[in-house]
Amino acid sequence: MDDHDRLLAPFLAGDLDPAAAREWDQHLLECEQCWQAVREDRAGRQAAELLRQRVPAGLADRVAFAVELAAAGTTIPRQPGRGVRLRRGRLAAAGTLALALAATLVLLLLPDSRAGMPAPVAVVARYAQAMPPPARQTGLGTGEQAAPVEVGRPVTMTAAGHHIVVRTWRLGGTEVVVATSGQPFPMPPGAQGTSGGGMAWVARAGKVSLYCINGPTSELVAAPVPAAQLAALATRLPLA
Amino acid sequence: MDGDHRAFLDATLPYMEVVYQVARHAAGAGQDPEDLVQETYLRAFAAFGSYRGENTRAWLAAICLNAARSQARRRRRRPWEVPAHGLLDAVPARAEAAPDVADVVIAGLDARTVSQCLARLPEPQRLCIVLMDVAGYTAREAAAALGCPRGTVLARVHRGRRKLAQLLTEAGVSHGRP
Repeated sequence: MDDHDRLLAPFLAGDLDPAAAREWDQHLLECEQCWQAVREDRAGRQAAELLRQRVPAGLADRVAFAVELAAAGTTIPRQPGRGVRLRRGRLAAAGTLALALAATLVLLLLPDSRAGMPAPVAVVARYAQAMPPPARQTGLGTGEQAAPVEVGRPVTMTAAGHHIVVRTWRLGGTEVVVATSGQPFPMPPGAQGTSGGGMAWVARAGKVSLYCINGPTSELVAAPVPAAQLAALATRLPLA
Repeated sequence: MDGDHRAFLDATLPYMEVVYQVARHAAGAGQDPEDLVQETYLRAFAAFGSYRGENTRAWLAAICLNAARSQARRRRRRPWEVPAHGLLDAVPARAEAAPDVADVVIAGLDARTVSQCLARLPEPQRLCIVLMDVAGYTAREAAAALGCPRGTVLARVHRGRRKLAQLLTEAGVSHGRP
């Protein structure tokens, strides 16, 4: 970079005092090299400005939702012994397909029994709390074998360092949440080990049952159905 | 914490537009810019208690760039790396007689070509251009985000713009001469 180039940047940024700027204006009329540099600077800036894009619809809702969940996940361990402070968080996670999520979510109260639940499990349980109750009995064992239909698009969330992708499936009259993580979902207090691939466990969180299969990837299935039905429901879902 | 996260969102969501611009260009191969934006906000929320509120835009940009680097390290890939073969395939070889760069017609530029040429700039120049020209940061904000003097940012963005214009000319984005 020569002296001219070194002075050109402050000139283009408007940093020069009026007298120095006038000298540069005059100089540009006489110096082809500097004039070329000015034109290239302008061309490069205008080209780069073409790269601006609008924020995708739904991203703000998604981020706000993730922050709400993070706030919930960090509150629980910070108040040991005091139980979980009752609160109600209304989340407009995404109300429309255009927003890439299925429905407006309402965070419900965490029952005291979930105090101490690991944050990655708690956020999935909290998310599943927003699922509507089964429209009717799922009909397991009665011959009903409706194919699972994915509801909305996947939601990504982070809790305690876990990167979690959550999908929602409709199976008959029941909506089931399937959370996938590259790290094992920790077993919460009160969970029971069960048969299944790898380290499997079942637990209850309020009205939601949880069924976890820890393998190369870890999957946590959650739905507002009795725990005994959940493992059977999971066999009908496209798990990894 | 309820109030905290609402205060945080009130303070930071208005800047999502600029954070998204930074994330789009900071995200490495295989990184989803929207995931990077979310990670940026989660990291910012975790640090919000100690944030003094000097310049929220610059603070968020710095977090976004750090998050992109962390994720790139986790993926064991060099940050900002773009597969060179793809870019070189997309950019025509330099013509015998290069057209005058001043003849570049900005209005007709293909954003994809611009993006490919931008990816060929050295990282410091590219970051300065992304922050100032794409995301709309001032030189002072970009300097705060990058942790370097404002004069350094001005020099880098100037050199980067010139190089970008020259690469575009080489790529055949020109007008007025064969």
